[in-house]
Formats: sequence, structure tokens, C-alpha cells
Amino acid sequence: MEHEKSHSIPVDPGEITPKHIYQSRRQFLKQMGIFGMGALLASCAPALNSGSDPMDAPDEDLADNLTSYEAITGYCNFYEFTTNKEQVDENAQDFVTSPWSVMVDGMVENPRAFSMEEILASFTQEERIYRMRCVEGWSMVIPWVGFPLHELLEAVVPTEQAKYVLFEAALVPDQMEGANSGLFPFPYLEGLRLDEAMHDLTILATGLYDEPMPPQNGAPIRLVVPWKYGFKSIKSIVRISLVPDQPPTLWNTVAPQEYGFYANVNPNVDHPRWSQATERRIGETGRRETLFMNGYAEEVLPLYEGMDLTINF
Amino acid sequence: MPYKNRKKRNLEWIVRGVIVIGMLPFFALLFAFWRGQLGFNPVETALQRTGEIAVVFLLISLAWSPIKRLFGWPMMLRFRKIFGLYAAFYAFTHFATFAIWDYGLNLALIMMEIREKPFILLGLAALLILLVLAATSFRYWQKKLGKGWRTLHRTVYAAAVLVLVHYFLAVKGNLFSLQGDYGAPLVAALTLLLLFLLRFPFIYRPLARIIQRKTS
Repeated sequence: MEHEKSHSIPVDPGEITPKHIYQSRRQFLKQMGIFGMGALLASCAPALNSGSDPMDAPDEDLADNLTSYEAITGYCNFYEFTTNKEQVDENAQDFVTSPWSVMVDGMVENPRAFSMEEILASFTQEERIYRMRCVEGWSMVIPWVGFPLHELLEAVVPTEQAKYVLFEAALVPDQMEGANSGLFPFPYLEGLRLDEAMHDLTILATGLYDEPMPPQNGAPIRLVVPWKYGFKSIKSIVRISLVPDQPPTLWNTVAPQEYGFYANVNPNVDHPRWSQATERRIGETGRRETLFMNGYAEEVLPLYEGMDLTINF
Repeated sequence: MPYKNRKKRNLEWIVRGVIVIGMLPFFALLFAFWRGQLGFNPVETALQRTGEIAVVFLLISLAWSPIKRLFGWPMMLRFRKIFGLYAAFYAFTHFATFAIWDYGLNLALIMMEIREKPFILLGLAALLILLVLAATSFRYWQKKLGKGWRTLHRTVYAAAVLVLVHYFLAVKGNLFSLQGDYGAPLVAALTLLLLFLLRFPFIYRPLARIIQRKTS
């Protein structure tokens, strides 16, 4: 099953880009055709795939080529191991991911632990190719293997009081070098509103590129919410709780004025210190425009009807 | 050959050596780019490395006279100048990476980023100071500006502070609670603080006395 394309979306006044910025971006992307494909790529590194040639395609149809397995597994933010993105794979090699169970509890009728074996057996794993946009300004296209989160939640039957879902990641200081650095209030926590969690796009991923999830990408099971910034897609989940109130999340706790609870990808709402209007696609040269809701607006916009997205960021 | 001439000739070679060594990080970076060794986000890696190299040269340049004074070694200020020039050079390369490689010389987009994002504006301000200092680092300007030259070149400390704030603001996290990846900027900040304190006679004189008594 593929959910990767950006459809044309009904334009809402809140997302109209100011004209001077839009035009300079168009010009920018055309210019990138001159700079990107010409001089700078003359003796281009073999690792760069020139999948997208901005000179050929107009902005709206920039291809979403799959990011390489090497890049996806070699460039990760997983601060419990290290803050060096290209060293996470090395540091995470000794992370023990089996046996593993996920505790699903809170406002549910049947709270209990699920072992990974049970999860893989009970829920059909399917391929979901998603764009992933990091808040730092880079992005990838990743072929996840997983299943919709709502299937797991339906199995435990949330009660009336369940309004949000809280996720907790593993924290194993013996195996995680960065766990006790004191720089972050681990364990990593994340949260979704219940309707966001129940949306079909939201998955629990157990693999990528048809391989079992590598430790550096959040083995054995992690969340993927493609229309939000990557930090919402919590890795190595040990607990999922249905709760009545908006839960704390790590980045919202660390810097609430910069990392909101919703964290929807939005080129019109800048990070306080840098712009979110453009992004670098890993494996490609140049920058591309960031898409509203990471290109999933048609599927998820109804969730935010009536909400001011500059306040609820 | 008289001893003094020989010493002077050796010094010339050391100066040339330092100049060559200062260019090595630049060529290493170019080589790494050419070989595809800049990792998965090469623009980001290049930005980080050029920035870090610039900071290191700036701090070495700032550390030069305080350390020399502490240990009672000859000043040899021509080395301080070389390090300062390299700081300006790498800072310029850092900015060029941002403007050309990252933003493809799209002036409208660049101007928007600079205007809206203080962290970039601070970096640019620091770069401008360093470039002015680099341009006026030659004897012609020392003569022309006279006493004013020293005052002008004291603004290197302002540049260093701007660079520090720029560095802190580039990190994901919360500056005020120091939650985040602040290791490297913190080390740089503490170093700068130390170097600044060492400018004051009431701090360096007693320290120098202790150090030089021990080594004499």
C-alpha cells in the first residue's frame, strides 16, 4: 500500500504563501537547476543521487524518490545513543531489542502487554512509503513496513475518558551512551490527540525496505506520523498509554516556544530561529519547498478544522 | 652564519609552515566533498566544519598573547595575525557555503533568512567585523590609523561574542535551561571567558609570576 503522493489540495487562506516569497522560491528552484546540476555537481560524490532535476519539472511535481537504505540507516537522530547523526548506527549496535514487549494501558478496557511476536502475528504488516521531514530542515522518503496504530488501540478498547495517546521510549543507560548526559530529560516521551492516533496514516513501524527495523531507526517498533515533524515519530516504544489530558513530550518540555505539541509540518509557521519554508532532501542537491502538512494535507486537514495553526503549532 | 640571522631564517620557515598548515583543513574539506565523504547531509557537514574551524582559529588567535604573556614567551604577533586571518577566511567560507551551496545565491531568499532569523544576522555581523579586521591587518593600516588601530582591532572580542551566540542559537534545545546539545559551544564559551579574563593585569600578573617562577 503506498501513500506517498502529494495531491493538489484545496487552498485555505491560512496557507497562502506571500507572493514575493513564492516567486522568489520559484526563481530559486529554477536557479538551483543551473547551480545544482552544473558547477557544483561536476565531480559529484557518488553517494548523491540526482533523482530530481529541478530544471525538468515544475515545483509542484518534484519527484519523491526513495532515499537510500544507507542514508536512512546511517543518518539518524537518536540522542539517547549520541547526538552525532552519523554515529548512531555504530553506537546502537549493542542495543538489545529482543525480547521486547509494549505495555498498552491507561483509559482502556483491556490494558496489557503485547510481545513483539504477538504484534507481528496479530497485525498484518504492510509497506507504507512516507515522506519524513525533520524539524531541522532535511527530509527523506522512507519505505516503512508496519501497521496502522488504530488496529492496536482498537484491540485494547479505549474508554470515553481517553482523549490523547502518550508514548514512552526505551531508556537503557547501559546500552545508551548519551542517556545520562544530563542534557535531555529522558525517557523520550511523545503524544498524539486520539483522532490523530486513530488516523489511518499513523502507523507503528516494525521494519523498513522489507528488512526488520535496525536499532538506530528505533527497533523493534516505533511510531511514524508522516505529516508531523520527525521528532514526533518516537522510536523503540515500550509503552503506549491512553490518557485524558494532553501529555508532556520531550521537545515540548525542553523548549515549548520552539517545539509544539502538534508539530505539523507547515512552511508558513517558522521555527523561532530558522525558517521552515524549504528543506534539503537527503541524497539530492539543492533545496525544495516544504509542503503544507508534508504533502498529506488532503488526508489530515479535517483533523484541524477551525484550529489556528500558528497558535497550535 | 651569525646566530641571530639563523634564528630569523628558521622563524621564516616556521611562519610559512603555519600558513600552509592553516590551509590544510580547507583542502581536506574540498577533498572530502570530492570523494563524497561529507556524509548524508554534505551541506550541513560543510557548514558545521567550516564554522568549527573558524571558531578554533579565532580562539587560538585570541589565546596567543595572553598565553605568551603568562609564560613569559616572546610575543611573535605575526602568528596571531595569521590565525586571525584564517578565522576570517574560514568564516567567509562558512558564509559562502550557506549563500552559494545551500541557498544557490537566491538573494531574495537569503535576505529573508538574514532579516528574519537573528541567528544568521549575528553570524553575518561577526563575519563583517572579521573581514574589516582582516582588511586592516596590514602595516599600511597600522600606520594610517595609528592609535585607532588598536581600538578597531579590539572589536575582535565583539566578533567572538557574536560568534558564540550564533553557535549557541544553532543548536537544538533550550539555551536558558541548557537542555540540548550544548557541549561544543559551552567549551568555546568557557574558553573565551577565560581568555577575556586573562587580559586583565590583576589576573594575569599574579598567575604569570607563579608560572614563571616555577619554570625559571
